Amino acid sequence: MSILFRSRSQGAQQVKISGFRRFVMFWVHNAQQAVASLGELVRYPLASLMTMAVLGLSLTLPATLYVVVKNTDAIGSDWQEAAEITVFLRKNLSQQEVATFTKRLNLSPDIESVKWIDKNEALAEFREGSGFGSALDALSENPLPDVLLITPAADKRTPSAAETLLRSLKGEREVEEARLDLAWLQRLEALLNLVRDGFLALALLLCIAVVLIVGNTIRLNINSKRDEIMVMKLVGATDAYIQRPFMYTGVWYGIVGGIIAWLATALLIWWIDDAVRAISELYESQFSLTGLNLQEMLVLWLIAVGLGLLGSYIAVRKHVATIEPQ
Amino acid sequence: MIKFEQVSKTYAGGFTALNQVSFHLEPGEMAFLTGHSGAGKSTLLKLISMMERPTAGRVLINGHDLKRINSRQIPYVRRDIGMIFQDHRLLMDKTVLDNVALPLLIEGYSMQEARKRVQASLEKVGLGDKLRYYPMMLSGGEQQRVGIARAVVNKPPLLLADEPTGNLDPKLSTEIIKLFEDFNRVGVSVLIATHDLGLIARLRYRTLSLKEGRMINDGLQEN
Repeated sequence: MSILFRSRSQGAQQVKISGFRRFVMFWVHNAQQAVASLGELVRYPLASLMTMAVLGLSLTLPATLYVVVKNTDAIGSDWQEAAEITVFLRKNLSQQEVATFTKRLNLSPDIESVKWIDKNEALAEFREGSGFGSALDALSENPLPDVLLITPAADKRTPSAAETLLRSLKGEREVEEARLDLAWLQRLEALLNLVRDGFLALALLLCIAVVLIVGNTIRLNINSKRDEIMVMKLVGATDAYIQRPFMYTGVWYGIVGGIIAWLATALLIWWIDDAVRAISELYESQFSLTGLNLQEMLVLWLIAVGLGLLGSYIAVRKHVATIEPQ
Repeated sequence: MIKFEQVSKTYAGGFTALNQVSFHLEPGEMAFLTGHSGAGKSTLLKLISMMERPTAGRVLINGHDLKRINSRQIPYVRRDIGMIFQDHRLLMDKTVLDNVALPLLIEGYSMQEARKRVQASLEKVGLGDKLRYYPMMLSGGEQQRVGIARAVVNKPPLLLADEPTGNLDPKLSTEIIKLFEDFNRVGVSVLIATHDLGLIARLRYRTLSLKEGRMINDGLQEN
């Protein structure tokens, strides 16, 4: 490996190391340096933990937002699937006529199922649930119409196909009014997009912040080891050799930071899950947030390690080279 | 071994530290480099160890023009040069063993292999029993000898010393110089920068003298 003294590796026998040995020792040294940087971190636990916590907690917010978006996507698609058309029938129809109409609709290929809500049953339910029982008694006749809940066939559930179906239903003689509530679906979609975009922008900003914070911490580390780096350069250490321990420090930040992000995300989801459940109960549905699955946890971990590595890489590239022996 | 051809070095700001310096140190030769502070001794050593590049002229080591060495290759050049400093530049938070082993670890030795050679190197400078000590626990002369052990542990063909006896009393200085003589005897080229004229006078080695950046005497006069 001597540039100036071609014969040196033969002249001084003891200095000679085979290429294979060099290769093996490269990895052994890597492992040693990795452990050594960990030891260094353990020696200053508070400072290291703070950087790790910043890394982990910064990733927690985007991770939680991601979980929320993922869950809302899931319900969103549920609701999209179940897009129902509500049909209010004319009041003067007899039970018989309603039953026939229901049967006729059931035969249509565009419609999967029809659910009939009898106006008398609806009134009884309303009387019990609303507390207006006595007021209702004052009415001479049932003010409620018969209602049909129509689920379109699987291929008619897109907003435009459902709209066409809605128009044809409105044309029916028995139908007073029909509604397809697409507006709220579109609103939900828009809201989801907003959250998704916000999540991406926020995640990007926080990732940049993490890189800068890790980079700055490593920069301080490098500066505090200025003398040591100079001596190493004097005795012939390559920049790569000097940089490696700092890069491993960045990796360790990422590894521990990632675990902190897992825990904090789980905690945050547990925290908001009660609130979400309360809301979903108000909507009479059973819904609870699903947290990160194994794959997503691994991705989060990789991102954390990647950010730690990137931050330290930027710092060592910029600062190790500028330290030159005097 | 070391050849300077019309080498000049002007620092940013216009200070000329070396002015057309030429000399040739033969392989296996030992020489002193002397001059007042600011005469250019340190600059000359820095040009050899590639801490600085010359403004003009050529520096050759073993026939290789250092101009051809790019910055990525500098570490490999430094592995061939044992360097000793007045302030010895030891790592104070590392043991003597770790300090001396550093050049070997950088070259890819395992600690077990390095230990044997560290032991041998420390024994040569008379500190074979101080492996586990920290530099702070040693005297100035001992610290300097640890620095020498580190410089020679990977058996470089060339030794450079910058004021190695600067902080030592005459008796210790003589001991240090004796060490250099030992290395020189086994074929190592040695260049020692010093302004300790008494030391130079006692030993009859070639003496390169610098004054205000010029080589006023390269010791090759017929004497």
